Amino acid sequence: MMRNNVDKKVQAHVDGLFSGVGESQQLYDLKEELATNLKEKIADYKKAGMDESAAFKEAVSSMGDLSGLVDDMREVGQNKAKQAVYSSMTARISAAGLITGILLILFGVLTSAMLYFMDMDLEAVTGTAIFVVFGIAIITYSGLTRESSKKYAMNRVRAILYAVAIGLVAFSLFVAFTTGFATGEVYIAISSFMIFFLVGIGLWLGLIFTGTDRRKMVA
Amino acid sequence: MENKISTDLIRGHTDTIILNVLRQGDSYGYQIYKTIIELSKNQYELKEATLYTAFRRLEKEGSIASYWGDETQGGRRKYYRITEDGETRYEQYKKEWKFAKEILNYLIEGGIENDEK
Repeated sequence: MMRNNVDKKVQAHVDGLFSGVGESQQLYDLKEELATNLKEKIADYKKAGMDESAAFKEAVSSMGDLSGLVDDMREVGQNKAKQAVYSSMTARISAAGLITGILLILFGVLTSAMLYFMDMDLEAVTGTAIFVVFGIAIITYSGLTRESSKKYAMNRVRAILYAVAIGLVAFSLFVAFTTGFATGEVYIAISSFMIFFLVGIGLWLGLIFTGTDRRKMVA
Repeated sequence: MENKISTDLIRGHTDTIILNVLRQGDSYGYQIYKTIIELSKNQYELKEATLYTAFRRLEKEGSIASYWGDETQGGRRKYYRITEDGETRYEQYKKEWKFAKEILNYLIEGGIENDEK
């Protein structure tokens, strides 16, 4: 709880420093960099015996004059062309990811359909749906790392964790159907479903409760 | 930090100092800040504001490159590493500094031999 309090104060302070500055991916990154380093400095001051509010004040005031950086960021925010260059590489990677993911899902669905109409056993039919699971995970990652007109790109580690969480949930369904059809027992389906589903949901919830807001301000 | 070194004197060397830190291994903002204090034997503190401005400048000119670490607790760290261009620049700056130091020494401490009559 205490820790969250500092995090919020730091975030509010950093946001305040750059208030009124046009938004850009670079500004978003710089704010994250500043916030992380400030938090670490505060933690060090606290370790040295300062109380929390004194540590916060000291850390903030010892940063020096940030007006040069603010001006720099204002310029970046005004220059749309620069922003486009900055984010085009990640945009391309995520576009490739989205395409791969969608194709994998289609491949999974179509092969399953094919096997179904070949009158194969149902567990064989659901087996190829594993491609759908991978497709979903890749789409999740690519979608989250994409900068859109409304949101900033999520950082890669968080995006990977999200992809794993959602992948696990999808995988739990896959396991449920496959083992269910293979054994013909619903209880086995549920028990194997449960493991992956709970881990996936747990991870997902953890991410939701620790996330930062990526929404862009509406100008 | 009682014996204050003038900011004017050190300003021109900010980039060299940062490059020297990064030459010895990748690092991130706060760590670099602490290393500089340590290197100066607690005599000099390079403010974060100056540091981040220098990072942006050095990255733009290609002397350093950055990447995000994968910590999740307390937020991600942005790490910097020196590039080959940066290494070359560092060597150049060091050479210039050694030369300037010598000249300044003459200018500030040198005496004129008075042998007119």
